Amino acid sequence: MNVIEASGLGKRYGGTWALRECALAIPAGHVAALVGPNGAGKTTLLHLAVGLAAPTVGTVTVLGGRPAGSPAALDGIAFVAQDTPLYKNLPAADMLHLTRNLNRRFDQGYARARLADLGIPLKRKAGHMSGGQQAQLALTLALARRPRLLVLDEPMAMLDPLARHDFMAAVMTAVADDGVSVLLSSHVLAELERVADYLILMSRGRVQVAGDVDDLLAGHRVLTGPAAGAGRYAERLSVVHARYGAAQAHLLVRTSGATDPVPPGWEAHPVSLEELTLAYLREPGAAALPGPARARDAEPTEVTK
Amino acid sequence: MTIDKGISRAGGRADASSPGAGGGDGPAAAARGPASPIEFRLDPASGVPTYLQLVQQVEHALRLGYLKPGDQLPKVRDAVAALAINPNTVLKAYRELETKGLAAGRPGQGTFVQATLSQIALPELTVLHRSLLGWLASADAAGLDEDGMAALFTTALREFRGRRGGSGGRRGAAGGGTEGVA
Amino acid sequence: MTTLTVPARPDRDASLRPVPWRRMAWVTWRQHRLTLAGVAALFGVAAVYLLITGLQMHHAYAAVAACRPAGSGTCRGVADNFLNTYAPSVGPVLGLLQVIPPLIGAFAGATVLARELETGTFRYAWTQGFGRARWTVAKLVPLAVAVTVAAGAFSVLVSWYIQPIFGAGDHNGPLYPTIFDLRGVALAAWTLAAFAIGGLAGILIRRVIPAMFATFAVWAGLAFVTGWFLRRHYEAPLITTNPNFAAPAWVLSQVWTRGGSPASLSMINQTLHGVDIQAVTPGQFQPGPATPASIDPVHYLIQHGYTQLTTYQPDSRFWPFQWIEGGWLLALSLLLIATSVWLVRRRAA
Repeated sequence: MNVIEASGLGKRYGGTWALRECALAIPAGHVAALVGPNGAGKTTLLHLAVGLAAPTVGTVTVLGGRPAGSPAALDGIAFVAQDTPLYKNLPAADMLHLTRNLNRRFDQGYARARLADLGIPLKRKAGHMSGGQQAQLALTLALARRPRLLVLDEPMAMLDPLARHDFMAAVMTAVADDGVSVLLSSHVLAELERVADYLILMSRGRVQVAGDVDDLLAGHRVLTGPAAGAGRYAERLSVVHARYGAAQAHLLVRTSGATDPVPPGWEAHPVSLEELTLAYLREPGAAALPGPARARDAEPTEVTK
Repeated sequence: MTIDKGISRAGGRADASSPGAGGGDGPAAAARGPASPIEFRLDPASGVPTYLQLVQQVEHALRLGYLKPGDQLPKVRDAVAALAINPNTVLKAYRELETKGLAAGRPGQGTFVQATLSQIALPELTVLHRSLLGWLASADAAGLDEDGMAALFTTALREFRGRRGGSGGRRGAAGGGTEGVA
Repeated sequence: MTTLTVPARPDRDASLRPVPWRRMAWVTWRQHRLTLAGVAALFGVAAVYLLITGLQMHHAYAAVAACRPAGSGTCRGVADNFLNTYAPSVGPVLGLLQVIPPLIGAFAGATVLARELETGTFRYAWTQGFGRARWTVAKLVPLAVAVTVAAGAFSVLVSWYIQPIFGAGDHNGPLYPTIFDLRGVALAAWTLAAFAIGGLAGILIRRVIPAMFATFAVWAGLAFVTGWFLRRHYEAPLITTNPNFAAPAWVLSQVWTRGGSPASLSMINQTLHGVDIQAVTPGQFQPGPATPASIDPVHYLIQHGYTQLTTYQPDSRFWPFQWIEGGWLLALSLLLIATSVWLVRRRAA
């Protein structure tokens, strides 16, 4: 089952396209990281997936084909928006009661236990809590709904490092216990590297990279070699990004597998997720998408072996 | 901190229908055995993939005697709660250990240490240690600095592994992956 | 790669019953109980004032009602005395009461949707399982009913309060604009309409304070237009040529005609020149030094071929007009609420 499927998805606000030609198929059982600079369209994509926005073109379905925003979709997806909106004048206990009343499924015991663990008093109003506590409360409400998919929009933007760790630990524990799929967005890749096993990289309203992290890392490597001959190889290989020194060049290439032969005189190194992300962000025309790659500008992105 | 929350509170969860988390590891809320002898830690700057770090920590613990056959490895849930990592990473590490024959999962109970790393007899170890010291002295005499020695050793190790046919699935080590020599 | 693929629970999607409506009852109550308390307080304070002054008035009116023989000059004087004492303070009170429906519309109606949109909490509320359209209905309808019922109860008190004034023969009868929409079903209907306008303003404007102002302005405009232009046409007004028309009614206009066409002021003055009477307005006559003592300008004009046409709505049409006004306000309110729900459905993030 795919937790999110998008086809030709686009969203326009006024005259600007916040998202264009988005095609995704995120499988279930993953923790998917949606990464990209500010303004890349991450929030737009998330809002389309949870039904807060309607597409201008294209379609998006969730949880195995349910239309986004439909009652079936709302039932299975829990969303925590940016800035964790809560009713500031309601105490935590009332927020629990409220969420219970608005949903078919709500694990009251789990929610209370979690809040007790975190030291969040039930009587405290949401507006009087620290940023970290608010985020944890919002997460508790979402997890207590026992969703199939948890969607988090930049959940840790306002959190200090300890709060961030606790937050992510809570999400990962829920994944371990319930098998819930997660889609979370951030403009800081580093904090998602340890948790993500599916990566979606967005830039300027388009999805540049989408795929399983292990597959992506296995499918790319850096070739380091003499700058003089680099141009020759660059034409034959699928180069995503190249950096040239006077004598040395680094080419980040897509491979068809670890058994691709290394050109003589060159060395191959594995790439880190961060290096991969930066390379694609620097090359707006490049893409690494599952299935046939779209022809973009001059960059060859399809593996020709 | 989170570690305590992970262990102490799981028993108090009201949702008794919480099922296992796949693989060979099942966090049964009711039957909790004693905690694992070891705790995992993470070095985010080491450049080594997370799952590999966990595998190496288990092997290291085995070598040093922290783990003995029959001991339970940390439950997936506990590791995840302590380190805030993807459960799949822990599962991957445990699968790797299973492939190596070092651990085995018992459904509904957890993952347990099965064998030890082959122990080399002490005299043999001493001989190897001494010859290595000799090699280091020669390298030093030839003008190699410490980094140079490490690089040479790593290259040779790679060659040796390649000739032997490296263990499958180790993406970080197979093919052409090494730390490059500047 | 293999992943954590164990589904957390068996698939129950086959029977996806919607979350029951009654669950929202607590939600609406908890989130709007202050608003409801405010509405109750507003009506409560006004009720207390009406009770206190109304009791005073009723006490004083007892003497007027008991005066015998009814209709005589003395009793007329007693009644006029009563009116001179109490009528002047009633006017401002009625004016203040007119402000209650739009206040309720602004504070109770406009805040429901506007606050969610302004604070961003709609991103929480509209992603819960209940569904945003049903959520909107479950909020707007109970609140609408509550304010309508409260207003309806209050209007009974207003009728009781104003009764001595009518009984003493005030020339501004029940149909008069300043009192008509505070009694009968009109007050409830106008309050409901204010609430519905507020709700729609909330979803259109998305900010609380501007939505409240807009609600007030729109309601005031609608009330003014209805009171001064629309209401008089609910049924065709009656016209009489009787110069001594004194039946209880809402007089809309009085004009002079001659020979079938309206008579201008200058024409009237020309005619009255002969008895040295100056017509300041068609209803006001200024006798001059040479005016004979027993001349009545109205009769004089009638003798000279003029006809006085009085257009009026009889007080007996009070309840028919109430139902007509209540009816179209109810329809309008339902339409506005339905539009609000439809807009919530359509609205993008």
